[in-house]
Amino acid sequence: MKKLDVRGAKCPIPIVKAKKEVDQMQPGELLEVISTDPGSLPDFKGWVQTSKIAVLKEQRTEKEGGTDLYIHILERK
Amino acid sequence: MSSSHEIDVKELLAKVDSGQPLLVLDVRNDEEFENWKIEGRRQFKAAHIPYFDFIEDEQAAVERLPRAEGEIVAVCAKGGSSEMVAELLRGRGLPARSLVGGMIAYGEYLEPVTVPVRAEEQSVFEIWQFNRRGKGCLSYIIISGDEAVVVDASRSREIYQTFLSERGVRVAYVLDTHVHADHISGGPALAGKLGARYFVGAGVDFDLQQRVSTLGDGDELQLGQTSIRLLATPGHTPGSVCYLVADRYLLSGDTLFTTSVGRPDLGGHVVEWSRDLFQTLHERMAFLADSTLVLPAHYGDTSEIGRAGVVAATLGELRRDLPELQIAELALFTEAMKRVLQTPPAEYAEIINANLGKTQADPQRLVEWELGKNQCAASKGDR
Repeated sequence: MKKLDVRGAKCPIPIVKAKKEVDQMQPGELLEVISTDPGSLPDFKGWVQTSKIAVLKEQRTEKEGGTDLYIHILERK
Repeated sequence: MSSSHEIDVKELLAKVDSGQPLLVLDVRNDEEFENWKIEGRRQFKAAHIPYFDFIEDEQAAVERLPRAEGEIVAVCAKGGSSEMVAELLRGRGLPARSLVGGMIAYGEYLEPVTVPVRAEEQSVFEIWQFNRRGKGCLSYIIISGDEAVVVDASRSREIYQTFLSERGVRVAYVLDTHVHADHISGGPALAGKLGARYFVGAGVDFDLQQRVSTLGDGDELQLGQTSIRLLATPGHTPGSVCYLVADRYLLSGDTLFTTSVGRPDLGGHVVEWSRDLFQTLHERMAFLADSTLVLPAHYGDTSEIGRAGVVAATLGELRRDLPELQIAELALFTEAMKRVLQTPPAEYAEIINANLGKTQADPQRLVEWELGKNQCAASKGDR
């Protein structure tokens, strides 16, 4: 699975970068996005509602040290 | 510094309030937009298109923009996504700017407005109402001679400090009317910075971890050539107080608003606190003249901002107009209060603990807890 690390980046960067990655991917291919922005949870959900290329397979929150990481797994349609 | 591609909250609200043509384009997600949005004193043209729709398909998103005169102001949570959207709109030849700091800045912006006082009082004291437009929170600075008192300060204390130092006044007291549940009090920190004494109407039920001055019902604070009297007004919280300035101006906290009374349900004792509130409104406040000007700690809707830009009403008007004040029987009042039970403000338990000095949250958390408007009144007042 491809990985995209956008830790420390604020909106709109995580979705701008994720869109660029997914554009390059083959149908069925997966991308893991790692973000520290809590706003990325609703924003990725909102984006895939209208997206013609991306499906959101999974979202989860992980702790790393004292930081919350927001993980989004996207699949290319 | 704001560039020509940015607009700050002050300028945006001035444009909206004066009815200048513009389109406010909110680019946040649906949930954030539904919860809380820019409000003005006049109707204005608004649109909601999330920024990720512009990323997904710029052309389609731009086509959804309503036709509007004047410039487009893009708004998001912190100012990043709105900057991106404003830039791409400008790339298409549209006049667009981004609200610098986004809704966070909107939620913290304070607008100082002078409260009109009677001619013979003008040389004695001034009352300033600081309107936190994004949240509907009101705080106050009263000045007499070279002394000042700050009441119900919001968290962003710089604007008070700048205002006070420009006036060259010494702050004797920083006061809170009660332990706020909807926003972080700037009181203790401001008092610390200014070397002033701090007091909050907390009562015995709260486990207050802050050092406060001991003030009680009826105590008078001398302020220059005038005085401020503390009135114990339990109800919204058991320790709630009002401050009566010059026997005529009542800083009523969350006890009495211009369209409702303070909700007595936030402590889980709605019957007891409703009884307290009923006694406060009908007995403790009975001695106050109808001409008393009520200056509350909150408002719910921009329509409550009067012509002079001030949120205020005379006690006589409220006694005549507020349904809650028409109820003459305790049992009926309590029933009415139970009916209006609403969901508590978001994060209110954390906010109370921070205001009691029990927890030290990091600044980012404080900002997140405070997002959205206040919900401190027993009714919306939309009648």
